[in-house]
Amino acid sequence: MNEQTEMMMENIRQFAESNISSISLKIEREGIPDDLYAKIIQQGLIGATLPPELGGAGLDRNSYDAILFQLARISPSVAFHVFMNNSLILRSLEKAGRMDIISEIISGKERYGIAPGPLMEGGEDGEGSLIIEPGSRNIVIGRNGGKVTVLTGMPRLLDKKPLGLRGLKTDIAILEDNGEQILSREDMEAIWEDGSWHSAAIFLGLAEGALEKAIEYTKVRKTFNFSLKDYEPVAFRMSELKSELEIFKNTLFSDVEDSLTGMMLKTLSAEFSRRATKYALQFHGGYGYLEDFGVEKFYRDAVSLNSIMFRPITDKRVLAAKIYGEKSGFL
Amino acid sequence: MDFDLPEELDEYRKKVREFAIREFRPELAEKSDRDESYPDEIRKKTLKEGLVDFSNPWKTMIAIEEMCRVDPGLGISATVPYFGAEVLMLHGSDYLREKYLSRVAGGNAIMGLGVTEPGGGSDVAGLKTNARKEGNKYIVNGSKMFITNGTIADFFVMLVRTSPPDDPKKRHHGLSVLVVERNFKGFDSNHLTGKLGVRATNTAELILNNVEVPEENLVGEEGKGFYYIMEFFNISRVFVAAQSIGIAQGALDRASAYLISEESKGHFVGEERKFKLAEIATRVEASRLLMYKAASYLFNYRPNPMITSMAKGYASETASFAAETAMEITGSHGLKTDLERLFRDSKIMEIWEGTSEVEKIVISRMMMKGDKNE
Repeated sequence: MNEQTEMMMENIRQFAESNISSISLKIEREGIPDDLYAKIIQQGLIGATLPPELGGAGLDRNSYDAILFQLARISPSVAFHVFMNNSLILRSLEKAGRMDIISEIISGKERYGIAPGPLMEGGEDGEGSLIIEPGSRNIVIGRNGGKVTVLTGMPRLLDKKPLGLRGLKTDIAILEDNGEQILSREDMEAIWEDGSWHSAAIFLGLAEGALEKAIEYTKVRKTFNFSLKDYEPVAFRMSELKSELEIFKNTLFSDVEDSLTGMMLKTLSAEFSRRATKYALQFHGGYGYLEDFGVEKFYRDAVSLNSIMFRPITDKRVLAAKIYGEKSGFL
Repeated sequence: MDFDLPEELDEYRKKVREFAIREFRPELAEKSDRDESYPDEIRKKTLKEGLVDFSNPWKTMIAIEEMCRVDPGLGISATVPYFGAEVLMLHGSDYLREKYLSRVAGGNAIMGLGVTEPGGGSDVAGLKTNARKEGNKYIVNGSKMFITNGTIADFFVMLVRTSPPDDPKKRHHGLSVLVVERNFKGFDSNHLTGKLGVRATNTAELILNNVEVPEENLVGEEGKGFYYIMEFFNISRVFVAAQSIGIAQGALDRASAYLISEESKGHFVGEERKFKLAEIATRVEASRLLMYKAASYLFNYRPNPMITSMAKGYASETASFAAETAMEITGSHGLKTDLERLFRDSKIMEIWEGTSEVEKIVISRMMMKGDKNE
């Protein structure tokens, strides 16, 4: 990890510890509070990767991934808010040349939600659209024949309590076809693929958050007069998971930039996040099942984000095509 | 060897499934989950239709599986008002059975089992709740944690320490079972909210502050409580296997329906997802056969704790595997449907009534002792 990334890791760690840790349960129950949204804007986290001439911070991949990693450690919802704005919404708007909307977003005047719909596997199927952070304006990916559109007006929400990303008031919405097309489906696929490294940063960050909690808990929790960490199955499993995580982090924070490595890391870290969070919850026993202990949210978010950010068929086909150098895995 | 259920049980299974599909309405399941509210109307309807019969454990096991297949929260709520009844059936005096069990069987009371304590978890013998004998009553002090039906049950079959262990290495000595009523002075309970899943079920912490329990509420013999509870776990673990298989089968039903629907719309469904479906289906079948084996030992009065632990441990991991894999197969469709609830409900199976780790301890200890079910 280079010095600049190390500094960013430390800065965002402190930001997350000071501003998010103590309210992480409240975020899950009530959503991200307005003053935290304001602090995220003040910190320059929205627009982090935009070039300075567009009002952004122009951060490199490593620094941006350090932000996502550290936020996901504490609150995957907050990390996804930053990812969604930078890697999906602002990237789309930048590509579409919509500077008017970009300035609204990075100044905090307007908040957008997304309906990733058909870009995801199991997408639109007549049950309404999954909508993340629904607002008065939404970037809708893939409706009206696969175009990327901007919708205005608050969508009708079905008031479903979502599995994950509860801090973002994720819901199911009925969307009206009143949008303005800004990009093609192909453009959005390219943007999605560019997000591989950053998706991996969130998967690994939330895994680290869950494992930190499990390591802490298994040190202090005693059963049959011994700490849980003293038992082989606990200590060995935690050590294996931590080892995997460190190896993945070495890749995440390396100088490598290519999309193939990014796709490989996303594929492996998506599965890893599910496995790590599952063990973290299991080693908390019954207490892990309660939201107050803060580990069940990682378990929910890992699976939820797997469904949203990782497409087990589409993404693996892209990976297979890169590995074989030609179209593969389509039968 | 015949792997099919007897006709009578198969008919019963169909009857329960029809009931669950009819009565476990999606709105009720969603509301109970969202509000963490116990659906008492389902308990009453289940009783009215005679669908839970604790004198017939085969039927009970099948009812649990079929109800959890439709909705685990409602299914467990419908079948758990009798939780701990076997302890009274097997060891309670005629007085206790008449006074307490008859009310539960008649639908006039709900009961619970009070074993787990804060910080106790799997270490049952390390419990701290103390019962001191004074004249013709016990004075109980302590607390219990994660107690199912904790704020709705009328009474609890509770494990307490009535004397210090005669040997520090034999902490399971000196434990006894008492029936403790909610309305006894000094009894209090706190509803535990914010659970990941099975939110329709009621879970609480119990607080016992100088609770006076009449001596006739002692179940069986003083000092034998640990054995009664372990015996009970041997029974309840088969029922948790049934809950788990219900969840796994429910996840399989939903994933399979989704893929069939995708193909019918002309969408391509490749072998990657079909293979995952096959893996779930295979594990569900294997879990069910193992549960039937454990049940056949147990219900024929030849309990085999090793097979029971295998059945519970494997079925609970299958529930978790099936729900997670179904989420993967269905993508965002799973996030928008009740599959996500099944996923949340599944995890507790690997934790309650003995964690997966405890089941492996039981299995490996018995294997090492040479008890290999030969």
